[in-house]
Amino acid sequence: MAHMEWTSDLDTGIEVIDNQHKRIVDYINELHHAIENSDRDEVGDVINQLIDYTQSHFTFEEEMMEEAGYPFLRAHQRVHGLFIRRVETFKEQFENGEDIARELHTVLKTWLVNHIKHDDADYAELVRQHTGADTAHNRGLFSKLFGR
Amino acid sequence: MPYVHWSDDLDTGIPVIDNQHKRIVEYINRLCEAVEGQATREQVHEVLDQVVDYTLTHFAFEEEMLEIVEYPDLEQHRKSHEAFSQRIRQYQQDFAEGHDVASELGETLRDWLMNHIRKDDHEYGHMVRDWMHAHAPNGVLQD
Repeated sequence: MAHMEWTSDLDTGIEVIDNQHKRIVDYINELHHAIENSDRDEVGDVINQLIDYTQSHFTFEEEMMEEAGYPFLRAHQRVHGLFIRRVETFKEQFENGEDIARELHTVLKTWLVNHIKHDDADYAELVRQHTGADTAHNRGLFSKLFGR
Repeated sequence: MPYVHWSDDLDTGIPVIDNQHKRIVEYINRLCEAVEGQATREQVHEVLDQVVDYTLTHFAFEEEMLEIVEYPDLEQHRKSHEAFSQRIRQYQQDFAEGHDVASELGETLRDWLMNHIRKDDHEYGHMVRDWMHAHAPNGVLQD
């Protein structure tokens, strides 16, 4: 189980999205750190924060796709929904005392890379075209959702 | 177990779907390498879980896409996904219980998916491409 590094093939070319993905990678590494330290409380905290942040990110990304007119938004949303349900199940198992942290860590790493490279890549060009002239608006949406 | 090579006749012409299919093919090849190479059981288990999970996610995406374009044979397509999903979940469970089914799963995935892509997916390809030309703004469908 290794530390996850950001590599340029994960870039979508949409700065706000890349920054959010990088933050998720940070959380995945924080989870790794908490597991290595055998700190159960910290593992629980990171899982909660990671789910919260990922849900906000999905909402942001879906609104952005909708504004850009991405035709398969609903399909992308379904993939997000399945993932959240899966991670919520891990969270419940963890809260019931099951030792799932390492498995969760592997699933998160794999899922994120697959999703960025294969699903996000599909909307990226369209969103880049759409937001090229409208980045100020996206910053507004970003602060609305993330409060910064 | 022979390595799967991507060939043009597997292309549906829908970039997101071709991309996902290629990823599944990569996974099948990784599973074969793991089974035939020096991988530990734990490593095989990891790849096996990944290929099953990715395939199921791909089915969900594809079904939703077919719903968006109002593909008339969606229900049939969905049933075929469901039956196959049950089969591969069963393999996953058998492996987790200690049965040596990784190689069989790899072969099943390879045979079923290649056949499914060539036949069933090609049937919707034309309709989805037409729909995209009519509805999708520039940038989603690369000719």
